[in-house]
Amino acid sequence: MAESNNDSLFNLNKIGESKTLGFLGKNWAFLFLVIMLILFSFLGKNFFSLNNFNNIILGISSLLLLASGEAFVIISGGIDLSIGFVMGFVCVTSSIIMRDLNAAGYSPFFSILTGSLAGLLLGLIPGIINGYLVAKLRVPPFIATLGMWGIANGLAWRLSEGFPIGFLPLQVRDIGNAYIAYFSPKKGFSFFIKPELTERKDILSLLKIIPIPILWITFVLVIFAFILSRTKFGQHTYAIGGKVDAAIRAGINVPLHLIKIYVISSFFAATAGVLLVFKLNMGVHTQYTSSYELFAIAAVVIGGASLTGGKGTIWGTVIGVLLIGTLDNGLMMMGLPIFYRYIATGCILIIAVLIDQFFPELVYKE
Amino acid sequence: MKKIVITILLICLVLSFVSMTCAAALKFAFMPGIADPFYFTMEKGAKAKAAELGVELIVGEYPKAWGPEYQVPILKALVARGDIDLLFTAPTSTEALIPVLKEIYDSGIPVITVDTYLGDGDYSKPSNYNFPLSYIGTDNFLGGQVVAGQLALLLGGKGKVFLENTNPDVSSVMDRELGFRAGLKIFPDMELVGVEYCLDVQETAVAQVSAALQKNPDLDGVFGVNVFSAQGAYQAVVSAGLEGGVKIATWDATETLIEALKRKELDLILAQMPGEMGSLCVEWGFKYLTEGAEIPRKVIPGFFVFTQENVNDPDSQKYIYK
Repeated sequence: MAESNNDSLFNLNKIGESKTLGFLGKNWAFLFLVIMLILFSFLGKNFFSLNNFNNIILGISSLLLLASGEAFVIISGGIDLSIGFVMGFVCVTSSIIMRDLNAAGYSPFFSILTGSLAGLLLGLIPGIINGYLVAKLRVPPFIATLGMWGIANGLAWRLSEGFPIGFLPLQVRDIGNAYIAYFSPKKGFSFFIKPELTERKDILSLLKIIPIPILWITFVLVIFAFILSRTKFGQHTYAIGGKVDAAIRAGINVPLHLIKIYVISSFFAATAGVLLVFKLNMGVHTQYTSSYELFAIAAVVIGGASLTGGKGTIWGTVIGVLLIGTLDNGLMMMGLPIFYRYIATGCILIIAVLIDQFFPELVYKE
Repeated sequence: MKKIVITILLICLVLSFVSMTCAAALKFAFMPGIADPFYFTMEKGAKAKAAELGVELIVGEYPKAWGPEYQVPILKALVARGDIDLLFTAPTSTEALIPVLKEIYDSGIPVITVDTYLGDGDYSKPSNYNFPLSYIGTDNFLGGQVVAGQLALLLGGKGKVFLENTNPDVSSVMDRELGFRAGLKIFPDMELVGVEYCLDVQETAVAQVSAALQKNPDLDGVFGVNVFSAQGAYQAVVSAGLEGGVKIATWDATETLIEALKRKELDLILAQMPGEMGSLCVEWGFKYLTEGAEIPRKVIPGFFVFTQENVNDPDSQKYIYK
């Protein structure tokens, strides 16, 4: 890609020496995010507040997980289209288990724990199948995961029969909507348990600090970001995505590694599905119109990955998701209709790829 | 080889005669609009009535998404059986389904549209879409007005409200929005502060209503136009800790929403009568085919309004979608 641009608008060698431009090219997404935060704080009513930042991050919590799993796959040179529907499948199955166990008289604690763990385990199966198809049977990732896209969706639909799964133990909602700490000007600090407030202005002035789901997500992301950037497993992932022949010659067990990658992606989707149960207090199948997999791919690319593989990071992906979420929320707070928000996300995605193409030396020269 | 082919053809011919003679009962086909509780309940209502009248009911596969591109292929396959006496369907486009249903009608199968309609839904005047026997369904505009009135009543005729809609390209929910806007105009102190579209994704609805609450901390009410937007709306209000403080009106009485109403997290549910609609389709179709009865060109089964007061009444229970 880089060669064709040598004689274009930019003299890459010269720009490569400029430290400022290099910094800009490498961190444009982050800088853009900061600029957006500043801009929206002036333009949107009540945008700059702790509660709104909670809204933003809770709004993108599913996408954070889905995109991080997708990052592993994209870095290895593949693609996983099934994640959105695997999330819906896990959301439905784990909520059904919680509901039925609770109805059968088991304690809420046992029902919730079993439902969550069963959901996480079941969520690994699509990944194993995807990985086996891609690595052993040489089905192109696009097709293999497109197949799983349909299967997971159909299963979720069959199990839920189109109805949202309700009647879960009440504790599900309390866990999913809790924060680590609360501060009320009236009642002071409290941890994990929301203070009882009746007055509208007291409820509105309640500061909520770090949602519990975000704590979990951060925990998972830190572990996997470490795996990707600091371990041999991570290095192999980059190697396979960079040049698969070289990876094989270097003695990497590529098929086994790829299966693990798809299982990781599926695990992230399953985690998102279980968290969604807690967040919505309900099991819902994923709608066709949600396009989770496409937004996840967009976030990974905005975060600096290339669809040809070998590049990208978890934290870049997180920035990508934050960018999409902040853009959406900010434009919403400004009162812009949804149509324009789609256009804006589309533009950002294209800009990301353009920067990736025009500044390759800057972005990836360490 | 020739003999085998001829034998197979003969067997097929005989079998088809057998199946034709066996099928003395009327066969009605139902083609739903999308896989959701609303149409499932409609099917149940239709099935119950069909069993009562001895009609065989064949139900087309539920389309996974809303739109002619999903519905038409299934519809064509359904009608291709060739032994159907009457079709009732929810057309997923007011325009695109006109030629498709006209072709079916011309092949001798009477058509009833249910829940959604062709053209403007008025089959009594001359037009290229007035061939269906009847439109049996809800008047969404009227329903929107009813919700606006009931919400204003709950708020004492004064307050800021927000509308959480689903798809800006679907006639039914847009009619609800227009009706809601028109209904609010009657109350000079009621203000609509915003409208969002969640595309049927509940998680998006949560984010959108959360943002609306952030933008308008003095919001008094939300109207969620269908099951996903309403459940998203109430989840956002619960998450902000404002349950009870923000009145939530919704459309469609699913079991989960009824449960939320009982827990006082919702305040108002406008129930359509999908079971009733399905039942009416079978009943009127049966009367038309057996007695040659004249069917009204438009049948509106009406609404039922669930509130926290009447939700536990035995008489209300039959309006819950199951």
